[in-house]
Amino acid sequence: MKLTQFLLPIVLIICWQTASLLQIVPTYKFPSPLQIIYGFKDLIVIGMPPGHHLQYHILYSLYRVFWGYITAIILAIPLGILLGWSNRLRLLLQPILELIRPIPPLAWIPIAILWFGIGIKSAAFIIFLGAFFPILLNTISGVLSIEHILIEAARTLHASTKDIFFKILIPGSIPSILTGMRIGVGIGWMTLVAAEFTGVKQGYGLGYMIMTARDIHRPDEILAGMFLIGLIGFLIDIGLRLVERKLVQWK
Amino acid sequence: MKNIYIFLLMLTAVLLCSCSQAAASQGPTIRMAYLQNDIHHLPLWVALEKGYFQKLEVDIQIEGVFKAGPEIMSAFAARALDMAYVGESPATTAVANGAAKVLAVSQVNTEGSAIVVKKDSQLSTLSELKGKTIAVPGHSTVQDFLLRKGLSQKEIPLKDLNIIVLKPPEMITALDHNQIDAFIAWEPYPSQSQTLGIGRNLATSRELWPNHPCCVIVASKKYTKNHQDKVKAVVQANIQAINFIEQNPEKAAQIALQYTGMRIETITRAMQNVHYTAKLNKQGELEYVQFLTKLGYINLSDPERFVQTFVNSTFLNQCTF
Repeated sequence: MKLTQFLLPIVLIICWQTASLLQIVPTYKFPSPLQIIYGFKDLIVIGMPPGHHLQYHILYSLYRVFWGYITAIILAIPLGILLGWSNRLRLLLQPILELIRPIPPLAWIPIAILWFGIGIKSAAFIIFLGAFFPILLNTISGVLSIEHILIEAARTLHASTKDIFFKILIPGSIPSILTGMRIGVGIGWMTLVAAEFTGVKQGYGLGYMIMTARDIHRPDEILAGMFLIGLIGFLIDIGLRLVERKLVQWK
Repeated sequence: MKNIYIFLLMLTAVLLCSCSQAAASQGPTIRMAYLQNDIHHLPLWVALEKGYFQKLEVDIQIEGVFKAGPEIMSAFAARALDMAYVGESPATTAVANGAAKVLAVSQVNTEGSAIVVKKDSQLSTLSELKGKTIAVPGHSTVQDFLLRKGLSQKEIPLKDLNIIVLKPPEMITALDHNQIDAFIAWEPYPSQSQTLGIGRNLATSRELWPNHPCCVIVASKKYTKNHQDKVKAVVQANIQAINFIEQNPEKAAQIALQYTGMRIETITRAMQNVHYTAKLNKQGELEYVQFLTKLGYINLSDPERFVQTFVNSTFLNQCTF
């Protein structure tokens, strides 16, 4: 299985390179794998726009995601536990949350720029919106999935509400919370790139870099940037999976 | 399993081939584009409104109104356009980087941009822009070019500037909310910022580079080859429109009003900052090529030869002024 898994991408890349060499595909629209590698090199050595090097684009993007994501975690997990715990609160807040949830984070961009300007705050806000709901919903369902009998049993044993909260609810919902966090960071990362399309004050960011490469007509660098975004998203996911495995060994 | 591989290979082949043959058919209708609210493109609007194209028997179809020049050039790369009014800088970048195959067949205007700061800003000279955040409509737009060229003439190292990209309609709001220190845009945005009482000109592009070439009419090489008469007619209509603007500035302003929806005082003020002319300027284009190369946007082995082929006065020379 392992071999076939790698075989297909390799075969496709070879076909792609051959098609480019034979000029079946116009290299402007579809740069060859080799050109993309050179584009990647240019991103590191020359930068896009020239002088703005790749490593800083990555750092700025990660920085924006970090703030949006951390804010989402800080707000969504406690709120999710509360809403999972209290039926009354959940019924009260559900209509508002259900109304805001389907609004795509990107639809918030114009208003976010108006509220927070074009700096880190508006980008972090967009990422926050992308990450918040998956974490919230997974936390709620994590709490709800805890078997009621466990809580009843704890009560009969005279456990305090605090104990029930910290010894049953939180540990019990952790697997679901972690799933929410993984989905959240994925969506946050996707949203970030689009948020950076609209303009960023610092002049750095992977989305911004791709748009600049478009302005200067370097499709090789656009594709190199796209692959990098995919790769970083993939690595973040692997990282969170490792954390998940550590934290929920008992499961 | 083998079947799946064959299927996937065929699928890839089909996708790649269809990608290479995406060109649409090229009828006699000219698929044209221009920039949103760019008063440099007033000759096009005048020619459309005064019926100059019909009189010369060309059928113009506006395929798109774009927000910045590089977007127009991407549309050429996708073979979705035949001709367009666009800045000389994005056109040069796209052709030099092999993205689009177009020729500059006529000038449209020279000058016509300005660096704007807030009305009550402390900034009074270009040199004070050092370390400030300045918005441009896009990388490799004429304005990006003018800003960098103007400031490097003042011996301000480009790394001391924080140049960011904002679409012109968003620039005035960003300036008003102190999110940027200055912006450079095509008219009528600098004039609009003044009419609204938000901004003032720190420098017009005339002061940065007197008589600098700005927008041109570009035509795809393929279309030009097949429809020389049509391209010539557009060039001729552009000349007629420029003459009309010169002779009837007030009527032309009314047409600009119709296309931009801005106030008449904005339009009149903006028009004073633009010089409409059809005459192509090869020396100016060479300066573009050299400076774009210096910026690292393009990389040409023979700039002079590039200019000779890109700037094509053949049609202009056949026209009556």
